[in-house]
Amino acid sequence: MKKRGIGLGCAWYGTGYGNGFPDVSSAFVEIHDDGSATVLTGAVDVGQGSNSIFAQIAAEELGLRAEDICVNTADTDVTPDSGTSAATRQTYNTGNAVLKAVRQAKSRLLIYAAREFSCPTPEGIELKSGYIGVKGDPSRRMILGDMVFKARLNGERLISAESSTARSTPVDLTTGQGAPYWPYSFGCQAAEVEVDTETGKVKVLKVIAVHDVGKALNPTQVEGQIAGGVTQGIGYALLEELELQKGMIKNPAFSSYLIPTALDVPKIEAYFVEEAEESGPYGAKGLGEPAMLPTVAAVINAIDDAVGVRITSLPATPEKILQALAEKKEELG
Amino acid sequence: MMVIECIVNDKKYVLEVDPQERLLDVLRNHLGLLGTKEGCGEGECGACTVILDGKTVNSCLVLAGQAHNSVITTIEGVGNRQSPHPVQKAFVEVGAVQCGFCTPGMVLSAKNLLDKNPHPSDEEIGVALSGNLCRCTGYDKILRAVKLAAEEGK
Amino acid sequence: MKTEVVGSRALREDSWGKVFGQTKFPADVNLPNQIYGVVVRSPHPHARILNINSEEAMKLEGVAVVLTANDVPHNSHGVLFRDQPVIADYVRMVGDPVAVVGGETMEIAREAAERIRVDYEILPAIFDPEEAMKPEVPPLHPELQSTNVLYHLPIRRGSMEEGWAKADVVVEQVYKTQHVDHAFLQPEAVLAYLDERGHMVVQTATQYAHYDRGEIAHALGFRYSQVQVKTLAVGGAFGGREDISLQIIAALLALKTQRPVKMENTREESFYSHSKRHPMTMYYKTGAAKDGKLVAMQAKIIGDAGAYSSWSINVLRKSAVHATGPYEIPNVEIDSFAVFTNNPYTGAMRGFGAAQTVLAYESQMDLLAKKLGISPLEIRLRNCFQVGSITATGQELTSSVPLDQCLAKIAPYFRREVETP
Ligand code: FES
Ligand code: FES
Repeated sequence: MKKRGIGLGCAWYGTGYGNGFPDVSSAFVEIHDDGSATVLTGAVDVGQGSNSIFAQIAAEELGLRAEDICVNTADTDVTPDSGTSAATRQTYNTGNAVLKAVRQAKSRLLIYAAREFSCPTPEGIELKSGYIGVKGDPSRRMILGDMVFKARLNGERLISAESSTARSTPVDLTTGQGAPYWPYSFGCQAAEVEVDTETGKVKVLKVIAVHDVGKALNPTQVEGQIAGGVTQGIGYALLEELELQKGMIKNPAFSSYLIPTALDVPKIEAYFVEEAEESGPYGAKGLGEPAMLPTVAAVINAIDDAVGVRITSLPATPEKILQALAEKKEELG
Repeated sequence: MMVIECIVNDKKYVLEVDPQERLLDVLRNHLGLLGTKEGCGEGECGACTVILDGKTVNSCLVLAGQAHNSVITTIEGVGNRQSPHPVQKAFVEVGAVQCGFCTPGMVLSAKNLLDKNPHPSDEEIGVALSGNLCRCTGYDKILRAVKLAAEEGK
Repeated sequence: MKTEVVGSRALREDSWGKVFGQTKFPADVNLPNQIYGVVVRSPHPHARILNINSEEAMKLEGVAVVLTANDVPHNSHGVLFRDQPVIADYVRMVGDPVAVVGGETMEIAREAAERIRVDYEILPAIFDPEEAMKPEVPPLHPELQSTNVLYHLPIRRGSMEEGWAKADVVVEQVYKTQHVDHAFLQPEAVLAYLDERGHMVVQTATQYAHYDRGEIAHALGFRYSQVQVKTLAVGGAFGGREDISLQIIAALLALKTQRPVKMENTREESFYSHSKRHPMTMYYKTGAAKDGKLVAMQAKIIGDAGAYSSWSINVLRKSAVHATGPYEIPNVEIDSFAVFTNNPYTGAMRGFGAAQTVLAYESQMDLLAKKLGISPLEIRLRNCFQVGSITATGQELTSSVPLDQCLAKIAPYFRREVETP
């Protein structure tokens, strides 16, 4: 018989290295004579898309499009150290460093432009849609590149180097008290499963995922992280297990170490909650790891809801489910 | 050694190969077509997918000898920046690419599906891509991209 | 704040190269005159190497070099402690590299690797962390700890006695998680060479180029300024590319032979050359009052660090800190342990210690809800963190704690489904 159930899982995740370890990211920025710009940072884009996030941040600040920004990363001869692409820290930490660096380079341009436009304060200057001009005075406006070129002819160099460091404190080794991470990221997911009581097989039909991202710098990428996380979570809950025999891996192959395929993934509905984290770039916090956390709980709780057995060891294989069902029958019987 | 003839991406090749060599190595090492990737070498991941005589195959499981007299399409033969294939365009627009290691194989599987069946159901798309593993995207956007490419082809 | 580009669905520039197959991953770069490196790995989980005979391997035409532990200037690396050998002369896990071959082709190098004879003195091995943590068991890393307990973090908050006294329902359960592999799709690969400056250039896929540079420089005795790590496209990582895999070995081969070196893992080799997710055993006892409020929690978490420390301290710290789940619990006693065994070493993987505890704390929540006769959603709403909440480590959550908003968004779906079975 096939039985359906639904389960809920919540999770939280402290991002960054944590525990008072210096968690520093750095970035170099140069604004070029035509108004385009280059960002150099050590942060590796491991596929999650950090490079385009940095391009978006720089573009936002300069009133450009993301494609106007060259982002070059993770070449130790060229780029400054930005820490590891882990701990859900690059959007937050290196994002902050890039933001600070762009603003620093930009600030000199603002001062120069204010003088050019006879505006008494650089705060009156804005960069928008490829132009630089005085807020509220469309007659005082110039193509950004022209202003940069002018500024450079007059000896201004629009280059910068900045760093950003996340806050945390070490926990006490006898009581565990301290503030080991910041910021924390939250999320919850609901999974709907179908359990086949004859075979013990579990099919995940649907996952609704709601995650707290501070601010979604790129919704497409947020959704991509969530779907990828949910799918890894399903693998963790139902499929994946390294089989060891005296330390030897018995299944070091994709034919025996199973990860989810396109047929194993359910419908995934991804939602996010945007409540700005004041220390993050534009209020953003990271999402990479949190996206996979609640899935395992949602699936395991859904199995219980469907067939009334509590699986306490991962993965929830058909064998374990059949055994639990048999034990339950015995108890009742 | 043996001589094989094949057409790869519309170009005819006469190649001297070890018949035991894998098609994957012929493509990568002899022809420099590095878009075909190796993720497992045992026919499980689909990163090495190419289209051979109209069918998708795992080129890590095909011997060079078997490719004699065949017509092969690799990722290098599908679209380019000036005129991307609808599947490629959809992958980029939908955000179906993360690390990108699975992408060439995925694109080829999707293209071959749409060549044969321009209006596949969700289920058919899933089955067509089930031999291509992706560890990053969770497949969600990939499936959506294929659907979009199919719709645009309508 | 109103933004235009930030918050938009801007396209990823890199995705174009990827859909056309143009993007270069480390396996896709080569240099003229390169040799190929292959690693010989230990089949034993714990052993001392008595002798390595490479005569038969060297007889093979096209074998350029065989390297063993003695050839490494500074034979160690590691993210927290440098407790992992570049090439081992003492083996602590199956898969430890014991020799490295450089050959004119990949086939020659693989064949030569098969011909290398290693004599091992096999030592007793231990695979169960709870066994391994006993004080009488000899430590795997006496230089780090006098027992196999690499790390123990206790968290104490409130009073357990008071907590249990307030508990109307209590749930006690043991949870276990498994070893997991990152299974990123692109196996490790490296191209290493000395360039025209005499600098060591290492092109690879890593999570942290600057860390790799430091470890390569340390092992080879180079200045940081003379090592360039250039990251090519990374085919997924998920924590599995944080520790060193082939980078130092490839650079060492390049240094010894003065030729470019290409290394490429098979999938099977890949399984042996990066860390794993920590399996954990989690003993949980959680109590709630009739009103659904959590009042006490006790947890003991034992994580299998495997053969090397990698990030285990940080991982088990993260487990402990997150062990309550996102809920306020006034009385808490948590003990988290990282324990050495002769299993594959464990380290960073997406979720980093906070992924395992979810199974435990969220199962406990459902079990408690059932006992209390309230819904899973309700028990979470009554306990979830808010701004101003204090965590088990005594940290005040000062801003951006919108779990209640997340739950509110999911609630309609959840309620509907629950009502119509
Ligand atoms: S490399 Fe051919 S299927 Fe994986
Ligand atoms: S995008 Fe990384 S494997 Fe598919």
